[in-house]
Amino acid sequence: MLRPLALFVAVLGLAGPAAALEGAAVSTPNVEARLVAETDGVQPGGTVTVALRLRIREHWHTYWLNPGDSGEPTSIDWTLPEGVTAGALQFPYPHRIEVGPLVNFGYDGTVLHLADIKVADDAAPGTTVPLKADAVWLVCDDICIPEEASLTLDLPVAAAPPAADPAYAAEFAATRAMLPTPSPWPAVFALQDGALALALDAPDLAKAGLAAAVLFPMSAGHIKNAAPQTLEVRAGRLVIAAEAGRHFATPEKAAKVAAIPAVVVLTGQDGQTRAFELTATPGPVPPPAAAAGRDGALPLWTALAFAFLGGLILNLMPCVFPVLSMKALALAKKGGGDLGGARAGGLAYTAGVVLSFLALGGALLALRGAGEAVGWGFQLQSPPVVAGLALLFFAIGLNLMGVFEVGTRLQAAGAARTGGGLVGSFLTGILAAIVAAPCTAPFMGGAIFTALTQPVPVALAIFGALGLGMAAPYLALTLSPGLVRLMPKPGLWMVRLKQVLAFPMFGSAAWLVWVLALSAGPQALALVLAAIIVAGFALWLWGVIQQSGGGWVVRGAAASAALAVVAALVVIPGLAAPAATAASDTGAGPRWEAYSPARLDSLRAEGRPVFVNLTAAWCVTCLVNEEVALSSAGLAAAFQKAGIVYLKGDWTNRDADISRLLEAHGRAGVPLYLYFAPGAAEPAILPQLLTESIVMDALGLVSPPSS
Amino acid sequence: MKRTLAVLAAVAMLTASALAAPVIGQPAPAFTGVTADGGTVDLAAYAGKTVVLEWTNNGCPYVKKHYGAGNMQQTQAAAAADGVVWLTIISSAEGKQGYATPDEAKAIAAAAKAAPAAIVLDASGEIGRAYDARTTPHMFVIDGAGTLVYAGAIDDKPTADAADIPGATNYVLAALEDVKNGRPVATPESEPYGCSVKY
Repeated sequence: MLRPLALFVAVLGLAGPAAALEGAAVSTPNVEARLVAETDGVQPGGTVTVALRLRIREHWHTYWLNPGDSGEPTSIDWTLPEGVTAGALQFPYPHRIEVGPLVNFGYDGTVLHLADIKVADDAAPGTTVPLKADAVWLVCDDICIPEEASLTLDLPVAAAPPAADPAYAAEFAATRAMLPTPSPWPAVFALQDGALALALDAPDLAKAGLAAAVLFPMSAGHIKNAAPQTLEVRAGRLVIAAEAGRHFATPEKAAKVAAIPAVVVLTGQDGQTRAFELTATPGPVPPPAAAAGRDGALPLWTALAFAFLGGLILNLMPCVFPVLSMKALALAKKGGGDLGGARAGGLAYTAGVVLSFLALGGALLALRGAGEAVGWGFQLQSPPVVAGLALLFFAIGLNLMGVFEVGTRLQAAGAARTGGGLVGSFLTGILAAIVAAPCTAPFMGGAIFTALTQPVPVALAIFGALGLGMAAPYLALTLSPGLVRLMPKPGLWMVRLKQVLAFPMFGSAAWLVWVLALSAGPQALALVLAAIIVAGFALWLWGVIQQSGGGWVVRGAAASAALAVVAALVVIPGLAAPAATAASDTGAGPRWEAYSPARLDSLRAEGRPVFVNLTAAWCVTCLVNEEVALSSAGLAAAFQKAGIVYLKGDWTNRDADISRLLEAHGRAGVPLYLYFAPGAAEPAILPQLLTESIVMDALGLVSPPSS
Repeated sequence: MKRTLAVLAAVAMLTASALAAPVIGQPAPAFTGVTADGGTVDLAAYAGKTVVLEWTNNGCPYVKKHYGAGNMQQTQAAAAADGVVWLTIISSAEGKQGYATPDEAKAIAAAAKAAPAAIVLDASGEIGRAYDARTTPHMFVIDGAGTLVYAGAIDDKPTADAADIPGATNYVLAALEDVKNGRPVATPESEPYGCSVKY
C-alpha cells in the first residue's frame, strides 16, 4: 500500500540520505529491515516514535495482527537500556491478499510499524541511547519463509527539542494516516441469513455515501476471510456484511459471541481512506429490506415473506387452532354449497385478522413513539387485559362444549344471506388475532423487534403480512371449493372434536389466571375466579334461552350475571399490583436475587460472574426454560462452586430498567439470558431455548458428579 | 394443511442456516482418496475408530517446525498406540510447494520417520476444500461415530519456532485423550496456523 509513496519519495531523491536517523539495514532473502526514528534525536525524559521499516520483495507480503486464513503477525522484542521503555508495536490497516481460495490480511511494498520509545529522565544530553530489537516476521509469496533480524539504532540525546527528520517524514505521515483511530460511531452486529452484518450508526457517512468499506476483525473465526463483503446503507446506518465464520456455525455458538473487536477501513466518495477501530456488540441490524427501496423491492419482499410464514405457523398455536377449526368445521358443514357466501366470509375473516394486527402493531409503534418502554407482549402486562383474555378463553371453551351458540340467528340461516354473516366472520377474525397475541410473544419476538426498528410504513407492512399469513389457510379453504370437498363429511365426530378442542382453551384460560395471580395478587385472583363462575352461569343461561326461549326471569338473571362480570373486570385494574415474581423459587435450582442495574454494576465491579435471566409469568418459553434448564440441584451446585450470582429480572409487569436491558441487547421481549464473565466488557447472550447443558457450556461450568 | 405448514416452516428454517464449512459436533464430510501406496482410502471404512486428519506440506516452515522437532511424529505414535487411524493429507496442487508424487511422498515420510496409517494425495484439493483446510498443519479429529470433534491447530503456540513446542498445549493429543475417555472434547476448535494450503 505504501508502494506509490516509496516511489514518490525515491523520485524526490530523498530515499535514505546519510543524514537520516536510521539504523543499519539488515537484508534477509525477502525483506530489507531497519529501525528508523521520526526525529533526529530525543530530549531527556522525552518520547520518540521509532519505526520498524520493512521493505518487502515484490509479490511477497507480511502480516497484520489477524493474519487471515494463514500466516503470522510481525513481532518485535526490544532490548533497551535501563529506564528506556517501548510502547506496543502499532499496525497500519492491512489490505486483503488473495492466495488461491484463501485470503490473508497483510502488507506488501514498504510497511512501517511504529513504536513509541520513552527515554529516561536522567539521560545525559550528548550521549546516545542504544536501541536493540529482534524482529520476527513471516513473509510469503506462494510459499512462506519465517525471517528475523537483529536491528539497532543509536538515539542521540539532546537538550534542544528535536527536529523532524525530513528523510522519512512522508513515510511516517502516511503510516500515521493508516493507523486506526477509535470509531466515533456505535457499532452492533447480528447474524443475518448466514452472514455477519455489522452496522455503524454513522448518519452523516450514510448520507454522504462511501465508495468502499472493508471489515477486518481483530481475531479469526468471525467471518469467512475469503468471502466477498458488501456495503449497504440500511435505515440510515452503514452495514457491512460478509459470510459468517466458525464462531457462528451453530445458534449456540453464535449466542456466545459477545463482542467483535475489529478495524473498518472506509473510503469516501473523494477517494480518501481512513481506518477506525471499534468493538461491535450484539444488537439489531436493519435487515436488507430497510434500504428504503434503494436496492429494489426484493429485500422487503423477503421480510414480508418471512412474516407471512410466521403468520401461517400461528394457526398451529394452541390458542388459535381451536378457533380456526371452528370456522373450518362450519364451512365443512355447509359442504361447499354456498361458494359465493363462503368466499365473502373468508375475505371478511381475513380483513378482521389483518386489521387487528395492524391495530396492535400501530398501537405498539405509537406507544414507543411516545417514549413508552414497551415491547411485544405489552398487552399482557395489564391485569384487566389478562383477566379479560382469561374470560374470553373460558367463554370460547364453553362455546366449543356446546353450552351456547354464537350468532345462531344470523349464521344458522346461511352465512351470506344477510350482511350479518360477514360481520360474524370479521369478528371471528378479530377474535383469532386477539387470542393469538399471547402465543405470538415468545415466537415472534425477534421478528417483531426488527419490524419496530423500521420506518412506520415498512413496520406496518410486516405486521400486515403477519396477519395475512395467519388468515391464509382459512382464506384458501373458502376460495377453493376443491379444498372444501377434501374435508371429511360432517357427522358426530365434528361435535366430539369441538368438545375436545375446548380443553386447550380451558388450559389457556387457567394459565392466564395464574399469570394474573402473580401480577395482581390474590384479591384479583378471587375476583377473576368469581367472574369466571358468574360468566359461566350467564352463558349457560344464554344457552337455555337459545334453545327454549326462556321467560323474563331467565333473561333477567343472564343480564345481571353479565353485569357482575363487567363489574369484576372494572375492579381488577383498581387493585394495586404487588411486586410480582415470574416464577416462585423452585427450591432445587440456583438461588437468585432480583435484578437491578445498580446490583449488576456493583457485582461486575467486584469482578463476580453474573448470570441474568429476564423473564415474565406470561412468557411460556421463559417458564419452560426455567423448568427444564434452570431448576436442577446440579446447576445450583455448579453456580455456587463457580461463585456465579444469579439475577432475575421480572417483566411480568412493566419495568423500564428491564426494558432498557432488553433493548441494549436487541430484544423487544423476554426471554433473554445474559452471562457476564468477570472482566468481560460485554455479556454472552444465551439462546432463547435453553437446556441445562447449554447453560453449563455457556457459563463454562462442569457438571458436578451426581451423588 | 397442518403437515404442509410444518414442512414449509422446516424448509424456511433450514435455508436460513446453511453454512459450508464442516461443523464441530456434526458428521465429518465423507471422502475417498488415493494413497501414496497406490491404494484407496474411504473415511466410511474407519467407522468405529477414531481418525486424525493432518494437512501437510513438507516445504512449509510450520510443518518443518513440528517434524524437525519430532513433535508430529510423537503425536502420531501416541495416536497409533491407542488404535487411532492417522491420515496425512497433501492438498498442494501440482507445481505448487508441497506437491508430491507417490514415491516422493513416501520418501518424505520415511526421511522424517513419520508413521501415518496412510498418506492421502489430494492434488485436486477436493478433500481440502470439503474440510475447509486452510493451513499446514491443519488438524481434524473424527470420533468412532464419524462425528467431527476437533478442528484447528496442532497446539496453542502459533509460531514457526521449534523452541515454543515444549511449553505448548497439544490440542490433538488432548482431544484424543478426551475421546478415549468418552468425555466431550474440552477444546473442540482453535484457529489453525501455518502456511496457506497451496491449492
